Amino acid sequence: MTTIIAYLDKVSDALGRLLATASIAIMAVTFLVVVMRYGFSASGLTLAGFSISAIALQESVMYLHSILFMLASAYTLKHNGHVRVDVLYRKFSSRGKAWVDLLGTLFLLFPMCGFILFASLDFVSFSWQIQERSGEAEGLPYVYVLKSLIPAMSALLLIQGLTEALRNIGILTGKISPLPEESSVV
Amino acid sequence: MIPLLMFLAVCLALMLGYPVAFTLGGVALAFAGAGVLLGGFDPTLLNALPNRLYGIMENQTLLAVPLFVLMGVTLEKSKVAENLLNAMSRLFGRFPGGLGLSVTLVGMLLAASTGIVGATVVTMGLLALPTMIKRGYDPALATGSIAATGTLGQIIPPSIALVLLGDVLSNAYQQAQLNMGIFNADTVSVGDLFVGALIPGLIMVALYMAYIVTRAIINPDCAPPIQDDNQDQPPLLLQCVQGLAPPLLLIAAVLGSILAGLATPTEAAAVGALGACLLALLQNQLNRHNLQEIMISTTKVTCMVFAILIGATLFSLVFRGFNGEELIHEFFNNMPGGVFSAMLLVMVVIFLLGFILDFIEITFVVVPIVGPVLLAMGIDPVWFGVMIAVNLQTSFLTPPFGFALFYLRGVTPDSIPTTTIYRGVAPFILIQIVTLSLIAIWPSLATWLPDIVYNS
Repeated sequence: MTTIIAYLDKVSDALGRLLATASIAIMAVTFLVVVMRYGFSASGLTLAGFSISAIALQESVMYLHSILFMLASAYTLKHNGHVRVDVLYRKFSSRGKAWVDLLGTLFLLFPMCGFILFASLDFVSFSWQIQERSGEAEGLPYVYVLKSLIPAMSALLLIQGLTEALRNIGILTGKISPLPEESSVV
Repeated sequence: MIPLLMFLAVCLALMLGYPVAFTLGGVALAFAGAGVLLGGFDPTLLNALPNRLYGIMENQTLLAVPLFVLMGVTLEKSKVAENLLNAMSRLFGRFPGGLGLSVTLVGMLLAASTGIVGATVVTMGLLALPTMIKRGYDPALATGSIAATGTLGQIIPPSIALVLLGDVLSNAYQQAQLNMGIFNADTVSVGDLFVGALIPGLIMVALYMAYIVTRAIINPDCAPPIQDDNQDQPPLLLQCVQGLAPPLLLIAAVLGSILAGLATPTEAAAVGALGACLLALLQNQLNRHNLQEIMISTTKVTCMVFAILIGATLFSLVFRGFNGEELIHEFFNNMPGGVFSAMLLVMVVIFLLGFILDFIEITFVVVPIVGPVLLAMGIDPVWFGVMIAVNLQTSFLTPPFGFALFYLRGVTPDSIPTTTIYRGVAPFILIQIVTLSLIAIWPSLATWLPDIVYNS
């Protein structure tokens, strides 16, 4: 069991670090859009033979942003980054915390993510069928990819939830020693 | 009855301590499931969920969130606060209460540039508290002023809290007007809220400073002046310019471009984040390790905010499915005292919820429910937003559950008992209540400036 957890943790961390670079990319591209609009009143940009319209650039920020907050949510779960009401939680023993986390994963996280995954399938497959594109003529033609982030987020959270549940079972049965606290204060 | 039960159930479940985002969604789904089995809930309502989630992804206003977070986290790493505090305490330190004033000013500038309450309280607690105690400040006054200035991040623009609130309020305002049959609806923007919060925020800072000065005059021992014992320091003027210029320029660029109507909050945030990165680079703090940490922190905070929004979206869909909105609407309309008592009730409820929930949850869960009803009663959206922000700020300071106090407790030496912190924040809570009453009595404190800026 510990090998499975270790393996999934590694994958999750690698994915998280990769996704985190999107935050800098969002800043850079938004800044580029601002400079183009106010500095040059340009409506497009030509880079190595490809021309990108300002609208497409603006939409790419939205894609980056969505990728960041949808896909890195599982990584945030692993690192205890999702805020808790910890008035009581902080006073629990590590066993008590493991119980809350295990039950929460089983009865709150799993149903919610399972439902979002299930409910979004038709919505996403329809978008793939019509190869849905941006409403703007010069926008990006990948709306179906963007919409696929919804089931992808749910799937990643389900996998991470499974890892956390296994970890908590390990803690409760004494096979894993509890991790040092990761503070959720920024 | 069921919507009320749902609200109670979610509050109880939250107290267990499982992450808020999933507790909101999970409890709502449990209610929806029970409603489908027992009748009384139409499951097709939940078909709207994927489209709602896609709406969150498409939302241009909320794009400002990761950018403002990035700006705040980067500034925190760039030692801006440290340089600023050193300069300010040299400038004001020789007067009684001077160190306290410096802390308030630095806290205000830090709040304006980072906008994250936890980060401001922790940073100021680590930087200023040891010095204040060492120089003989009354521990209660020291901890109180740090906790209070830390919460300013909530209200002093550009703050992330106001971005979220602005987005939710603009939807609520539009819905309220649609319900009244007004189709070319007025709008309210994040920019309006930023401008509206400016004067109330400055009033609070002025009152904080007045309180510290008064204490120092009445009893100089509780806030003694500090002697400049270090001779080989750079000239005072140079140090002040070096400390003040970076944050002031950054704030001026971000707020200025929004106020002048040159940039949207999202664009201004991108410029601010880039500025913060350049600043960190100039201070030699932007190495590989720090950059990695900055990106990871930004990612975690952004995901945390949006996960709550996703959970809250599911919650409010189910809440509506059980006719929760009509229930609230009827309740408010049948209340004696009209708008005044409705507003008072909402404020008290938000204050109490502020003990267990953070700004984000309250904005995403409570405001969409009560907002349309109150706004339809004729309340000004900017005033409403500023009242909520100041109210929550007060709630975060109030013992025993105030968030700011938990953060401060975490960085305060054990030699200072918790009761001392409580005693220290009490006068600041009073100042908050005074400010809240001032805004309630004279709504133009919040609405006058946005009118001038946006309607001239």
